[in-house]
Amino acid sequence: MSVIDSAIRHPLVTGGKTYADITVDICRPLENKPSKSWWIGFSISFVLLLVLFATLFYTVWTGIGVWNINKSVMWGWDITNFVFWIGIGHAGTLISAILLLFRQKWRMSINRSAEAMTIFAVMCAAVFPFFHMGRIWVGCYWVFPLPNAFGSLWVNFNSPLLWDVFAISTYFSVSLLFWYLGLIPDIATVRDRAKTKARKFWYNFFSMGWTGSVRTWARYEVVSLILAGISTPLVLSVHTIVSMDFATSVIPGWHTTIFPPYFVAGAIFSGFGMVLTLLLVARKVLNYENYITIGHLDAMAKIIMLTGTMVGLAYITEFFIAWYSGVQYEQYAFINRATGPYWWAYWTMMSCNLIAPQLFWIKWARRTPWFLFMMSIVVNVGMWFERFVIIVTSLHRDYLTSSWAMYSASWVEIGIFVGTFGLFFTCFFIFCKFLPIINMAEVKGIIKNRE
Amino acid sequence: MFCFSTSIEKRNLIYGVYDDEHKLLDTVREVRSKGIEVFDCYSPFPVHHLDEEMGVRRTYLSIAAFLCGMTGFCLGLLLEFYTMVFDWPMIIGGKPSDYHMLPSMVPVVFECTILCTAYGIGILFFARNKMGHGVVPDILDIRQTDDRLIIAFDADSLSSEAKIDVNNAMKNNGVLEINSYKGQYAEALLTEGGAHA
Repeated sequence: MSVIDSAIRHPLVTGGKTYADITVDICRPLENKPSKSWWIGFSISFVLLLVLFATLFYTVWTGIGVWNINKSVMWGWDITNFVFWIGIGHAGTLISAILLLFRQKWRMSINRSAEAMTIFAVMCAAVFPFFHMGRIWVGCYWVFPLPNAFGSLWVNFNSPLLWDVFAISTYFSVSLLFWYLGLIPDIATVRDRAKTKARKFWYNFFSMGWTGSVRTWARYEVVSLILAGISTPLVLSVHTIVSMDFATSVIPGWHTTIFPPYFVAGAIFSGFGMVLTLLLVARKVLNYENYITIGHLDAMAKIIMLTGTMVGLAYITEFFIAWYSGVQYEQYAFINRATGPYWWAYWTMMSCNLIAPQLFWIKWARRTPWFLFMMSIVVNVGMWFERFVIIVTSLHRDYLTSSWAMYSASWVEIGIFVGTFGLFFTCFFIFCKFLPIINMAEVKGIIKNRE
Repeated sequence: MFCFSTSIEKRNLIYGVYDDEHKLLDTVREVRSKGIEVFDCYSPFPVHHLDEEMGVRRTYLSIAAFLCGMTGFCLGLLLEFYTMVFDWPMIIGGKPSDYHMLPSMVPVVFECTILCTAYGIGILFFARNKMGHGVVPDILDIRQTDDRLIIAFDADSLSSEAKIDVNNAMKNNGVLEINSYKGQYAEALLTEGGAHA
């Protein structure tokens, strides 16, 4: 129980911070007027959010025909973007749940913002399956088991698309609860520092009467552990089920048993990519370099390298199995991916996801923020292309040559995709302004380097 | 003597203020070894083993979570069997809509289990702590959510020797301040180098 300066383990928070320093540092962005850079970022995001509203309105008003999807490529940017966002939404719960179970204490500085990112990313993801149904006013009956006057025709529980509805709504709800539960002690801290009447009221409202009593903390720790325990299979199930949207079909290129682990690895990979993108900016702008240290970035880069390599292995395995299966349709689907009209998408995916992360074997690459930022963008781009490749190249040339077709997005589809970035960043900027983006309570528990 | 109500309202408390969790833990150990009950401790972050040292019994919430999960499991199965097998069986793509579809029921049953566990335990957690939106918190000292750890004793239940023991235990283990609390009124009994005094 004495203070040990470990020679092996580096401190997780640098700069010799005290408990009071943590409170002051983390509450600073909340208690001061927003900076100029915040206003610029927020304004741009908000304009993009308006683009989302406009393009969605146009889609619903005119009909789904304003998208360029056709009879062969019936899923285009919509489902590509859905899987892209849902993949990004995996890092938060991974960091807070799986790393909690593995007792990885470095998660504590980054879990709050990663969880927030999860929630916003799932919101962006949900836009696509909802609007791709076209007639959204009857769509609720197709995806939720609601009593209806059609006979009563229920939803089809044999369909993986329906499992996905349950998986994603459960994931969103549980992530929201987990995030909010973690926020309560910190909201109480902000409440007790509040000066104005409005701040006192709202932070009191959301802190739910938290006092930090030992009994509450004991229960809180048990509940956190249980939530982490159930979130771990949950986060793995969500992307497994997303992959079953494809894997349970009989489309060459989709019909493979490797999809669930391959998608889960890809989701962690892209999620950490987005966490890096956001945190590299946030730590600089908000002066959190002592909380989100180079050590944190290094650890995240290692996970990106590992999962990127796993994804790359899956690409190669798929290719090998397609050849080894001896099924000519399967073989053609993969040859067509790599050398057909969409070869550029395939090779973008390969170079961004498999080759680029190998640079993280070099220590310099893992510990240099500007380079990491560039790599995180590369990862995001690569993972978008992965979904595009899986969806579009598998669909555009199927069994009958008469139904072969090409696909490129219309301006409406591009607008919706760009608009979801508006939704994501608008939410994130609001979150940064009103809630502590680092978990103060947890960080206070680890600053004294005791063994 | 163990008090189950932890509301500080209408209580007469003596409390010590600390800046380190290990000093607090040592104080708890010392007073407990003399058979004195600690009313409650407050901290801005969870202090490991503090609940065990204080003799707080382990929460039943983990058992409740299991029961919530089983409820969710049953509700999920019920939903799928009722809609797909009994009420309006649909054969789509030649797939079964009787008990043969059990494998494809797994994902939805699983998600229902998780959802009910999470929300069940969440609601029970708030109920057990008497937490809710707009509840006015029982804050003994405004610094307890910032940078100070508080140990509180119920002054009415302590004998005069026990009060001396408590005071000594706190002083021996590096307390910053010892204050008394009567309803809303707080009075400093001892202040030692506390910048906040």
